[in-house]
Amino acid sequence: EPPPFLGSWRRVYVAVLLYLALIIAACYGFTRAFE
Amino acid sequence: MTPLDWVVLFATLAVIVGYGLYRSRGSNTVDRFLLAGKTMPWYAMALSIMATQASAVTFISTTGQAYVDGMRFVQFYFGLPIAMVILCATVVPVFHRAKVFTAYEYLEQRFDSKTRALASVIFLCQRGLSAGLTLYAPAIVLSVILGWPERATIFLMGVTVITYTTLGGVKAVTWSDVQQMCIIFVGLVIALATLIHLMPPSVSLADAMYLAGAAGRLNAVTTDFDWNDQFTLWSGLIGGTFLFLSYFGCDQSQVQRYLTGKSIAQSRLSLIFNAVAKIPMQFFILFIGAMVFVFHLFVQPPMLFEQSQLERLQSMNAYRPVAERYRQAFESRRQAARELIDAHRARSAAAEQHRLDAFRAAQREMDRTRDQATRLVESTGGEPGFTDTNYIFLSFVTKYLPVGLVGLIIAVIFAATMSASAGEINSLATVTMVDLYRRYFHRSGTDHHYLMASRWATVFWGAYAIAFAGWGRTLGSLIVAVNKVGSLFYGSLLGVFVLAFFFRRVGGTAAFVGMLAGEAAIFWAYFTRISFLWYNVIGCAVVIVTALAVAHALGHGTAET
Repeated sequence: EPPPFLGSWRRVYVAVLLYLALIIAACYGFTRAFE
Repeated sequence: MTPLDWVVLFATLAVIVGYGLYRSRGSNTVDRFLLAGKTMPWYAMALSIMATQASAVTFISTTGQAYVDGMRFVQFYFGLPIAMVILCATVVPVFHRAKVFTAYEYLEQRFDSKTRALASVIFLCQRGLSAGLTLYAPAIVLSVILGWPERATIFLMGVTVITYTTLGGVKAVTWSDVQQMCIIFVGLVIALATLIHLMPPSVSLADAMYLAGAAGRLNAVTTDFDWNDQFTLWSGLIGGTFLFLSYFGCDQSQVQRYLTGKSIAQSRLSLIFNAVAKIPMQFFILFIGAMVFVFHLFVQPPMLFEQSQLERLQSMNAYRPVAERYRQAFESRRQAARELIDAHRARSAAAEQHRLDAFRAAQREMDRTRDQATRLVESTGGEPGFTDTNYIFLSFVTKYLPVGLVGLIIAVIFAATMSASAGEINSLATVTMVDLYRRYFHRSGTDHHYLMASRWATVFWGAYAIAFAGWGRTLGSLIVAVNKVGSLFYGSLLGVFVLAFFFRRVGGTAAFVGMLAGEAAIFWAYFTRISFLWYNVIGCAVVIVTALAVAHALGHGTAET
């Protein structure tokens, strides 16, 4: 079954990995902002 | 606990169990009892996966860890989304198409019966060793904080879990997990909102975050590479990926959650949900711990959060000077915190730096005094390596949260304990029945016979967990050590599944020898200073290299070796 969004599972996986990169960048920025 | 708290606690538990049993009607075949007839929607599996992973220790220990060490622990989860993507692309479709009840059943299809048996026994050892601790750890904290009898608490939680797991099977476990996860989310949000409300009127949320950062409690990312540091960006991304590949791909307590999906797509979505939601959830829990720290900048915390040890020290002569030093350290830190906020608001860089140095010096004095109290516990008959981290959050909850909310947070602890325990017991029973009993001891029974065998296996593992947890106090720190030993088996399990999926030329004998070599390598690593997050990387690599070497030696890489 295709995923209900983004059209293909490959795109879903890429989106998850981009999301992880965004999360890590946000956590890094959060750390630097308050250290 | 007031009468209202008791009502909230028991009403919550009754609704969770009642709804789980209601949704599990018709679990009267082996397929329905163990795999819910493959009818589960993605959101139920997703919350069940999350609830199975989040035991009570996750909440009481993680918040305490943020209080004493900051938010570095969030890096532990950075490998989880990577692992979920790999599992969605490989493990989920393979397991679904193989129509297996357990992950280890697939190993016989791919390798041979001895590899399946070894993997099953490794899982039973590993998960069986931790089943008691899942019930024991929260019970001991509740007994110290609330004065509840330890064994009665274990018995209450254990019997509740056995009841709905035995009657309703995996469907009851999953739908109860959904309820429990909702209770956990609601409880945590209310806890943080109340915590912010309890801050002094002059301290805004921005001030609180500034103070937490100044004390090093908002250190979410550490970019240094250090083999011996448990929580860095690199150990999380590399070691964490391997750990979560092992946990979600090779541990039946998690595999069974997504094997119940009505399609490959539904199972994948359940894992993708966890890939997206898990890091923010852990960040949120750690942030609560950091805010408890800020709250205690203005309200004096106990010198030790474990009340029984503090009371024991109070009767000693050595206690008074340490307590006085602690009181003075707290007062000077509180003053330094107020002055630091004022300097920060005045936007005077020189004054702010001066106040920041004073605040950090006061914090170091607080830490030294607490260390002195900890050493006093150890030197007067307390446990070596004494720590009170697990008592910090519940100590705050019971002393400062309003009536009714205490019952809700205790219900969160119960819900987390029961969801993790139910997943363990359910999966232990499944592997016992499918991979051992039906495979080796009784191969031609009826479906009803195997259904009853599954139920009795559930009762057995539940009773075992209760008994093991009930003896926890007698076992002392041994029960924690046993749980650590249980975590040493993941690397070799991951290695054999990597062989199964990616090395078609490796056969059963080579995989079997590889698993044994991988296990030996992990036990070697255990006695070095290497952080535990790297064990799975080492174990997995040794399994693959050994199996390839054996396959080459035995038959120059044919599929029969």
